[in-house]
Amino acid sequence: MIFREVEDRDLIAKSRRGNVDAYNVLVSRWEKRVFNYLLRLVAHREDALDLSQDVFLKAYQNLRKLDDPAKFPAWLFRIAHNEAFSLLRKNRPDGELTVEPRSGEASARMYPMELSLAVEGALERLSEDQREAVVLKIYQGFKFEEMADILGCPVSTIKSRLYTALDLLKQSLAPVHTGGAQ
Amino acid sequence: MSCSSVDLKAYFLGELKAGERAGVEKHLAACGDCREEMNRLDATRAALVVLADEEPPQRIAFVSDKIFEPRWFERIWFERIWQSGPVMGFASSAVLAGAILVHAYTRPAAAPMNTAQTVPAAQMEQMRQRIEQEVSSRVGAEVTKAVAAVEARQDERIAQAVATAEKRFDAQYRGALADARQTADYYRDQNARFLVASTRSGR
Repeated sequence: MIFREVEDRDLIAKSRRGNVDAYNVLVSRWEKRVFNYLLRLVAHREDALDLSQDVFLKAYQNLRKLDDPAKFPAWLFRIAHNEAFSLLRKNRPDGELTVEPRSGEASARMYPMELSLAVEGALERLSEDQREAVVLKIYQGFKFEEMADILGCPVSTIKSRLYTALDLLKQSLAPVHTGGAQ
Repeated sequence: MSCSSVDLKAYFLGELKAGERAGVEKHLAACGDCREEMNRLDATRAALVVLADEEPPQRIAFVSDKIFEPRWFERIWFERIWQSGPVMGFASSAVLAGAILVHAYTRPAAAPMNTAQTVPAAQMEQMRQRIEQEVSSRVGAEVTKAVAAVEARQDERIAQAVATAEKRFDAQYRGALADARQTADYYRDQNARFLVASTRSGR
């Protein structure tokens, strides 16, 4: 992990000097995580891909403003968060941030369909903020402090959103999973 | 520790420090309700991670833009030299070898190795005094030689300046002498003419 951090720092330094090849290496390391984060927020592959490209372009243009290269992941996801919510607000001018239920996407996956549909349904029943907190913590593995940087709110708010989301998910998924596993 | 004082979700999410974790684990060992709650949280996470990450439909890549390209010397340094392990290794070896050669050719005569271990202290002291005397005498000789050279150069410059001044003075003296002779000749001629004229008028 330390070795990886040093490598990322080196790539960031080279990218800042205009080395596009170094930046492409950096993109290749993070594009899957950013894409999946955005996909779980906007629930649309093409939108998630377009947003991912916008995120990495903005990150490249603003890389010199990144004070501490060790904070690159949280900084990158902060840009992704802003881009995703900008799109969601544009698609929902009335301010209500809801995501269309996914249809048929689960059928193309390799895991049991019933469980995957149940998980997708449970995530979709969460509020936008709660879902994003779950995605950042459970799927992306960020710490509370990093999540606070990404979302621009206090750690107490992060914990509140995440704990409520976990209670809701637990009610939906724990029986499903336990039943499915047995 | 009571159930209400245990932050089970923070423990579940890996946000507790080692000491706090140990307290929660101790409580879990004794509390059946909290163990059951923990099992449900684990089951929830197990269900969530069934949704595996997807590969992006296409790779994101950027092409080089002239505006952002590094200058030629930056590119050579960072891409050809700095990034190249063999080149850097060769350069380091060359620098090291050069330093060794320079040191070998410029260093003074090597002192015997391990003298402190093999030579008695009295001999070491004598040797130190001899070295100091030798160094002092050599330094003194070099200083004397340098001072003599400086004085010689100064004497030479002074002699040149004096010779130049004498030459200039001599030329000025000769010029003035010639002028005086011309003046004397002029007055002698005038005097002679005056004598001739007065003699003729006295007749």
